[in-house]
Amino acid sequence: MKRKKWYGGILTVLLVFSVILAGCSSSTGGNSDSKDVVTLDIFQFKVEFKSQFEALAKQYEKENPDVKIKVSTVGGGNDYKSAITAKFASGEEPAVFNIGGPVDVEQYKDRLTDLKDTKAAAAALDGTLDGVEEDGQVLGLPFNQEGYGLIYNKRIFKEAGINPDEITSYEALEAAVKKMDSQKDKLKIDAVFAYPVKEKWVTGNHLSNVFLAPEFDGNVLEASKAPTVKFTDGDKFKQLVDIQNKYSVQPTASLDYSQQVEELFSLEKVAIIQQGNWVYNTVYDMDPELAEKGIGIIPIPNGDSAGMPVGVPNYWAVNKKSDEKVQEAAKKFLDWMYTSEEGKKAVLEDFKFIPAYEGYDVEKIADPISKEIYKYSQEGNTIGWVFNGYPVGWNDDLGASVQKYVTGKLTWEELVQQNIENWEKIHSK
Amino acid sequence: MRNRDAAYWLFLTPVLAALILVVIVPLIYGFYYSFTNWNGLGAPDFIGLKNYMDLFTDKGFLDTFWFTIKFSVAAIVVINIIGLSLALIVTSKIKSSNILRTVFFMPNLIGGLILGFIWQFIFIKVFGAIGDLTGIEAFNGWLSTTDTGFWGLIILTSWQMAGYIMIIYIAYLQAVPEDLIEAAKIDGANSFQRFRHITFPLVAPAFTVSLFLTLSHSFKIYDQNLSLTNGAPYNSTEMVAMNIVKSAFTENDMAYAQAKAVIFFVIVAVVSLTQVYFNKKREVEL
Repeated sequence: MKRKKWYGGILTVLLVFSVILAGCSSSTGGNSDSKDVVTLDIFQFKVEFKSQFEALAKQYEKENPDVKIKVSTVGGGNDYKSAITAKFASGEEPAVFNIGGPVDVEQYKDRLTDLKDTKAAAAALDGTLDGVEEDGQVLGLPFNQEGYGLIYNKRIFKEAGINPDEITSYEALEAAVKKMDSQKDKLKIDAVFAYPVKEKWVTGNHLSNVFLAPEFDGNVLEASKAPTVKFTDGDKFKQLVDIQNKYSVQPTASLDYSQQVEELFSLEKVAIIQQGNWVYNTVYDMDPELAEKGIGIIPIPNGDSAGMPVGVPNYWAVNKKSDEKVQEAAKKFLDWMYTSEEGKKAVLEDFKFIPAYEGYDVEKIADPISKEIYKYSQEGNTIGWVFNGYPVGWNDDLGASVQKYVTGKLTWEELVQQNIENWEKIHSK
Repeated sequence: MRNRDAAYWLFLTPVLAALILVVIVPLIYGFYYSFTNWNGLGAPDFIGLKNYMDLFTDKGFLDTFWFTIKFSVAAIVVINIIGLSLALIVTSKIKSSNILRTVFFMPNLIGGLILGFIWQFIFIKVFGAIGDLTGIEAFNGWLSTTDTGFWGLIILTSWQMAGYIMIIYIAYLQAVPEDLIEAAKIDGANSFQRFRHITFPLVAPAFTVSLFLTLSHSFKIYDQNLSLTNGAPYNSTEMVAMNIVKSAFTENDMAYAQAKAVIFFVIVAVVSLTQVYFNKKREVEL
């Protein structure tokens, strides 16, 4: 009897320990096994091109049998950040991951490899490396360029008798909006705008950038170093919040991105939305014809001037802590993706990116919105993206205070005051 | 202690190991981290009580705490009333009581996130449509104000949890001896008196359990909160759990979030233990 007990006990203990030990083994960003096959762990955030990117990775594996690529995708801004932080904390570090700009560079400093000697870095367009250059090092490679503005429905504009090219100032925008608002029934729209105040990034990142960028010369690094913010163009910022909020489908405080884009805009229930070229695929899925022929984009007017905010939303970073071999393979893969013929083709036609590198055939840019944005950036009629340089969490608070403002819990003066103080507070931390 | 031989400990090992690894160790780590400035990467520096000092002047955090307390009180009352009523309905002599049990319990099988999205659709779309049809203003603009967001959360949580609480009450209601009720009937007590003086004291232990469950559950709600309102408008419907996740992952302030979590843990523990202690004192023995 006694002996039997012992067997059981010993077995349990063994079992437990084997489980514990199995849980303890961890690896960092891929490894090379005996046959000299290098495994690349790529942890990226862009859900929109997940399948296309995986297909490209497969193609690369075919051409390079000694490399295996594992792609994991976790979507969305904040979700990705929490996932990557958790990954790093758990010791399961990917070899290639994404960073957003100066703030992330600061956070992941001891994990970032210098990518200066890659072909892709040499081919990157002027200004696209601003956010990731530090002490002469290039710590990331731009994904693509993106731009945002007021995306409009061509048919509704035409029926209302409005020429979008003439909307280059706030006055012109206001006149056009009022004109459309007065013929809502004839145009069969619910409202002129769909303004998702619920999404803090729409107001806190994008709209604010149009009016704050001039303070920092449109340079994201300037913004990330600035001890304070002045809201010089605060009144013009207010104009744009007011007009979009007033003429939007109500209530704006609970309107979200998917309602704005998938329902209201794609079903032609509103004439204008403040969004960027990333909405194209969504609109295309809902209504291909509308996406291809029926929409255009104009810049958000800042008083009398109007530039297109074009920037690099994200960068590829290579993990310094991973194996030398793995790092080399990662650089090779990124170079191939952005500078080889096959890679370029995929970037333009499958990913539908606006390239951030030279040597691309502009005519092949997939969608009309992106073409339009690229045209602005060629003419140099752009403003930079500085919101990736805002103090951590500041944009979120700004978005929240805009929600307060539109629901009447806060005056505009209070909003400006609070956010200036908040910037200084977070910056001095 | 004859039975505490080696085998006893061997059989206990798996449970103990699991408990220590996934509860005790992280808890101790968490306490330690809350005194540092750890940001999730790199090495933590010890900064003493600074995180705790900041906490008590952090208006955002205190607001979410107050919201959570208000929410919990309302949720506990609503869930228990609905749960007990449902239990009384299905233990009475109506025909379809078995089907009803299943139906009432169903919402509990759906995950919180999904529920949040379902109710978001109901509050925004369905309520909006009803409002447009009937012209009743109260149906419009749900989830766009703090109050509607608050009651939206209450409705969602009650709908989800009432069925579960019902099951607990049923178990105790069925244990109430028939002959006591019978005797009371003969003595001329009406149905309300029977409930008040016989059923109610006998199901008191059920209150202990249900109050504890609803209290700790509603304090710690996260996923329903995330998918229903995500704190909108202006973070006013943000609950403590969400606030903690935000400071950890949006603001990269792991240690500060950990300090919040420690305070949160202490408060929830104290409140629920006090509740259980007082409830226990009031229970009657048959």
